[in-house]
Amino acid sequence: MERAFAVELKIPDNEAYTAMRALQRLGVAVARVQRADILIFSGDESDERLGASIERDERLFNPNKHRLESLSAVHPRAGEVWIEAIDAPRSIPMRRLVGWRLYDHAGKPLGSDDLDAACARLLCNSAIERAIR
Amino acid sequence: MKARVAVLVFPGTNSEEETRDLLVDCGADARIVHWSEAASLAYYDAFVLPGGFAYEDRIRAGAIAAHDAMLDAVIEGAQAGKFVMGICNGAQILLEAGLAPGTGEIRRPTAAFTHNAQGHFICERVLLRRTVAATRCAIAAALPEHLLIPAWAAHAQGRLAAAPAHLDELERDGFIVFRYADAAGATDAHLAPQGSAHGAAALTNREGNVLAIMPHPERDAWNFNHLDRREGSDPLAPSGGSVLFKSFVTALERM
Repeated sequence: MERAFAVELKIPDNEAYTAMRALQRLGVAVARVQRADILIFSGDESDERLGASIERDERLFNPNKHRLESLSAVHPRAGEVWIEAIDAPRSIPMRRLVGWRLYDHAGKPLGSDDLDAACARLLCNSAIERAIR
Repeated sequence: MKARVAVLVFPGTNSEEETRDLLVDCGADARIVHWSEAASLAYYDAFVLPGGFAYEDRIRAGAIAAHDAMLDAVIEGAQAGKFVMGICNGAQILLEAGLAPGTGEIRRPTAAFTHNAQGHFICERVLLRRTVAATRCAIAAALPEHLLIPAWAAHAQGRLAAAPAHLDELERDGFIVFRYADAAGATDAHLAPQGSAHGAAALTNREGNVLAIMPHPERDAWNFNHLDRREGSDPLAPSGGSVLFKSFVTALERM
């Protein structure tokens, strides 16, 4: 069984802002970008134990900077793409991806065509990464 | 007249002064150009993208800089035959911009210098050997055959990665200009300190006027920072990394 968590900054995310501005310059109709580390675990551990493990690991989580969310499903939400290195190590029981959530000017999750464009033009280097939609 | 070389600075670039100084010591009229001065780039004969962490490596190393207005001029210049050399982060930018290896569309990368196999930053002195014919890349053409060039690999993301078929294409068609070598000049892939595919340290494009090189030749170039330093009045170390910069300037003077 797989479980997914999002570790997101609760302080201003300069990288997400840079991504938003770069995408806008590339013609993608995006008005807000959220970024998170997506951690996917395999095994039978409970959400509570996994969450506590993440919060204890200073490489993954800083309580002064981050908030932790247990995701209800192991796939991206509407307007979201997960980027994973193609040759990321699989020998450990945790996959680490980058999640990008893009919103339009009405505050709605970005549509599929715009999300495709954002991936192809900036968020994913398909030579070394895969975009999970 | 000396060749005019622009040394490009993005927010986060950190090797511009030594890169400019070495170009000047090798005979170029090299000047630092900041990201807000992109409009001035048409004046220059060639471009060098130095090392650092352009735009803090946000999204991916080189990804944001590849879309900067300065790269518009660099891309236009490269397509017109101007010489472009990227070192370390500059090399990553050139791959993100699609200028090296340049087999796909502009700004649609087909390869990357990405995370080291060991998963962390490395800093070690390496030797490089050109493993293509002198005519393949004009920037490296003046280097003697079998010369070993010292440089410093100082990166967390210096491992060439791409689809296996594309790597085979890069190998077959001579895109891999420099490989990591041992002191005897052997170039086995395992000599790449970060696991770079095919032992690659540098890529060129099909036309041979672009060079994306990961290790820093400028960090082992003058007698003061050359590990094999010797007495003499020339500030440049004869066996140091300056030989590549001299080759770059020589190529410019022949244009």
